[in-house]
Amino acid sequence: MHSEKNNKAVVVENLERRFGSFIAVNRVSFDVAKGEIFGFLGPNGAGKSTTIRMLCGLLAPTGGSGIVAGFDIRTQSEKIKANIGYMSQKFSLYDDLTVEENINFYSGIYRIPREMKKERKEWVIEMAGLTEHRHSRTSILSGGWKQRLALGCAVLHEPPIIFLDEPTSGVDPISRRQFWDLIYELSGKGVTIFVTTHYMDEAEYCDRLGLIYRGELIAIGTPEVLKTEQMHADVLEVQSSRPQEAMELVAKLPDVKEVALFGKRLHVVTESYESARQSIHAALSEHGYPVEKVERIVPSMEDVFVSLIESRDRAEQPQEEVQR
Amino acid sequence: MNTLRIWAVSRKEFIHIIRDPRSLGMSIAIPMLLLLLFGYALTLDVDDVPMVVWDQEGSQASREFVSRFTGSPYFSLREYVRNYRELEGAVDSGRALAALVIPKGFAGKIESGREAPVQLIVDGSDSNTATIAIGYADGVAMVYSQDVALDEIRRMGGTELALPLDVRPRVWFNPDLESKNYIIPGLIAVIMMVIAALLTSLTVAREWERGTMEQLISTPVKGRELILGKLLPYFAIGMLDVLLAVLMGEFLFQVPLRGNVALLFAMAAIFLAGALSLGMVISVVTKSQLLASQLAMVMTFLPAFLLSGFMYAISNMPKAIQLVTYLIPARYFVALLKGIYLKGIGLNILFIEAGLLTIFGIMMIVLANVKFKKKLV
Amino acid sequence: MIERIKHMLIKEFIQIFRDSRMKGVIFLMPIIQLLVFGYAVTTDVKHVATAVYDLDNSVASRELIARFVASGYFEITAYAKNPKHVRELIDRGDVRAVLQMNKGFEDDLRVGRTAILQLIVDGTDSNTAGIVLNYSAKITGEFSQKILATRFSRLKGLPLKPATVNLQTRAWFNENLESRNFYVPGVIAIIVMLITLMLTSMAVVREKEIGTMEQIMVTPITPAEFILGKTIPFALIGFADVVLITVLGVFWFEVPIRGSLLMLFVATALYLMTTLGVGLLISTVSETQQQAMMSTFFFYFPAVLLSGFMFPIANMPAMIQWLTYLNPLRYFLVIVRGIFLKGVGPAVLWPQMAALAVMGVVILWSASRRFQKTLA
Repeated sequence: MHSEKNNKAVVVENLERRFGSFIAVNRVSFDVAKGEIFGFLGPNGAGKSTTIRMLCGLLAPTGGSGIVAGFDIRTQSEKIKANIGYMSQKFSLYDDLTVEENINFYSGIYRIPREMKKERKEWVIEMAGLTEHRHSRTSILSGGWKQRLALGCAVLHEPPIIFLDEPTSGVDPISRRQFWDLIYELSGKGVTIFVTTHYMDEAEYCDRLGLIYRGELIAIGTPEVLKTEQMHADVLEVQSSRPQEAMELVAKLPDVKEVALFGKRLHVVTESYESARQSIHAALSEHGYPVEKVERIVPSMEDVFVSLIESRDRAEQPQEEVQR
Repeated sequence: MNTLRIWAVSRKEFIHIIRDPRSLGMSIAIPMLLLLLFGYALTLDVDDVPMVVWDQEGSQASREFVSRFTGSPYFSLREYVRNYRELEGAVDSGRALAALVIPKGFAGKIESGREAPVQLIVDGSDSNTATIAIGYADGVAMVYSQDVALDEIRRMGGTELALPLDVRPRVWFNPDLESKNYIIPGLIAVIMMVIAALLTSLTVAREWERGTMEQLISTPVKGRELILGKLLPYFAIGMLDVLLAVLMGEFLFQVPLRGNVALLFAMAAIFLAGALSLGMVISVVTKSQLLASQLAMVMTFLPAFLLSGFMYAISNMPKAIQLVTYLIPARYFVALLKGIYLKGIGLNILFIEAGLLTIFGIMMIVLANVKFKKKLV
Repeated sequence: MIERIKHMLIKEFIQIFRDSRMKGVIFLMPIIQLLVFGYAVTTDVKHVATAVYDLDNSVASRELIARFVASGYFEITAYAKNPKHVRELIDRGDVRAVLQMNKGFEDDLRVGRTAILQLIVDGTDSNTAGIVLNYSAKITGEFSQKILATRFSRLKGLPLKPATVNLQTRAWFNENLESRNFYVPGVIAIIVMLITLMLTSMAVVREKEIGTMEQIMVTPITPAEFILGKTIPFALIGFADVVLITVLGVFWFEVPIRGSLLMLFVATALYLMTTLGVGLLISTVSETQQQAMMSTFFFYFPAVLLSGFMFPIANMPAMIQWLTYLNPLRYFLVIVRGIFLKGVGPAVLWPQMAALAVMGVVILWSASRRFQKTLA
């Protein structure tokens, strides 16, 4: 048991956080292996930030336990802080300080040894692409650069684990890609990366994923596993005219478990795609919706996620009725 | 406790301060403003009280009596009124603070050795000025009566009778009763409290509001390192203000500094540490700049200004309030300041005050550390 | 437009009162100030701690001391043993005054020489010292007068007394010369200014600092609506404080209120125009709440000190007196004291009301203009 835990960067058991009567994180359990890129995926308000803050020792749990870098999150939060890097959702470096001054500050805080200071600083500046802006105040930087700088400051002291809370929110797609290149680079060096996001495409970049919804962990696994095993159903993509109205029609079909609008197309979740395909084709043509395409596709993370959430919602509803 | 981290925090704080030159400027300008105001403009001393006179008799005796008032530096004759309505108008409108009414028969009574009543009406709204003005008027009337008596005796007896009793006053420490000598030393305490309120009360709250504190508490930096690191630059500014105040007191206002200068600065340093820490406590506890600023006013500036003995003597306050003032650190510092400046006394007499201030300083620093939690909620 | 303003008002009130500590400060602070100014701040001098160093120890010396005690102004707390002891008592602050009479005091009186009372006064508190000197002069003067009368009649052989002037004093508006009657109405003025000034300037800047201002400006709200939305809540709080202090002042401190309440509220409204305007002005020149706070104090301290609230304007140097004509607090104080103590109305106070009105309009207007410019 003990040696198993030693391989894990993060171990969480029944972690809970209440705010009054509101349960933000509801008995969540998972672990993260060393060197892994672990993603926490979920909509806003799901409990991602709350979880990450508890793991970083910023918020005390109201229930359950957790170990980060070998230290207990309840009783040894200060030791944890010496061994992690954290990047909060909102940019929290000093906007009246320059890039270089911010780095100098955190160098001092993390007690980077004098010999290493210059080297680490240059590394961060280069990694963030801020060589030209080293003397600029951070207030004038655009979102992408700010995030890179924040990431740099979080890894100045080369921690074994870093926690990134929605690091790419509000950042343009190119910068997002570049940011993930940085994350890969760090992962290549053996750094464990715990990242939360609500961008479904970013989920594909992670080694393993936890899907969190309304404070609960509703699925966990590699992206492939989630897409194949979690989804016991198939996904059909339907292209027709007047998709919104078509959706209502398709939803009533017996083979169809769920249907959702994806841009201008419909994604239909069904247990038996062959019969569904035929019935959809038939129904749509009958009612005068010219059908361009009905074909099976590999489910995307978004499909998986929406499907899991909806089945969750459906499962909870009868419970509510019973309670009433 | 790591000095490197403390220094990193201090350096960052210095940069913040320098990048906000307006606030830095004001933290020097506001104390200077207060010093200038109290040194030049503000005084509780009263003279040139505007006065109107209704001399109902107009005799030589009454005119002589009136001239005692107009001739004194304490009163300034505005006009002669001829009836009650004019008198009332002058006092109601504030044109006159005092009105002297000499009834008919004044001269006659004086001549025949009887008691001559004279009426003085004062505007009581400003009770301080009114009390002082009445005191002056009493004095004038008393001297006049004495002179009348002495004249009478001289006329009758022919011999000079000396005034039976005379007071020879000696005012210690402040012989010319210059109110600025009494105000400026105490003002230093008020200034330091104001600086504490203005500077440190916002610093921690600001980081909470902006979100930079979240990043800070995710690092291994200790609460006490953060607090100490933040205190240092403001301490430097505060001591600069003290130096400024002492220099202005010495060269601009010529307030005598009879005691030990080193002791003065040492006590100032201790008090400043306590005051700044108090500001820090407010910042740590409120986490909101708006609230912190209001609280800072109430807890630092107001008590220092009103209840420390700086302006209003504690011994004149009701007993219950006097007890409250024992809890106000500025009280002890004001006593120290006045003692060192005017009385020239040292630690052998002031050790209690010095000790209490040290305790206050330590308590505040400890409190700031205890209250600061490296957690979000 | 009313709708939008109403919503801004609601948001503002929610924000202010969500934090219960803020509620405490807004309403507790006036009460605390009131208590302090009502009870603690007094320049009346009574029961001055005094030491007696009587080397004569005669009937006459003891009678003089008794007169000092009887006046109520002096309280004998120590008997000095020697000059060193005298020095110590004053150095330590145990006593503020020492009555010293040398051997031969009574003899001097009997023989007809001038007897000397040595009075040592601690001058560090020059206000008290001055008053102590005045009291002493009065007490010894009366004693002297009495002796003079005795000698006079002995000389004449007749029980005649010399003429004396009997100064009868009557204080109008504040018969017992209670300092609280002077300060309490003034507290209204300074509290209202502090609260409205600080809240307005910081509340606006707070939105700038946190970044929510941008969001509001993107909506169809006009700058005028924004300004109204920001200032009206604080005006209302200002009025609430006026009511609070007036009620407490009248019912707890028994401060008289002889003038018209209606006029008080009208004057308050005019006054609020000036304070809110200044608060707004400050917010236009401040980027951070720290700057707003500093600027507020930079304005507030001289405004209070140079208003006549504690220090009479008439005693200030001439140039400063001219400066005070720009201070809205000065006019409001005259009005407030006029209403509470003097019971006068618009007939007497119209110049001050007019001054406030003019200042209010000018300040508010220029603040709004500046505000709109900084937004554009």
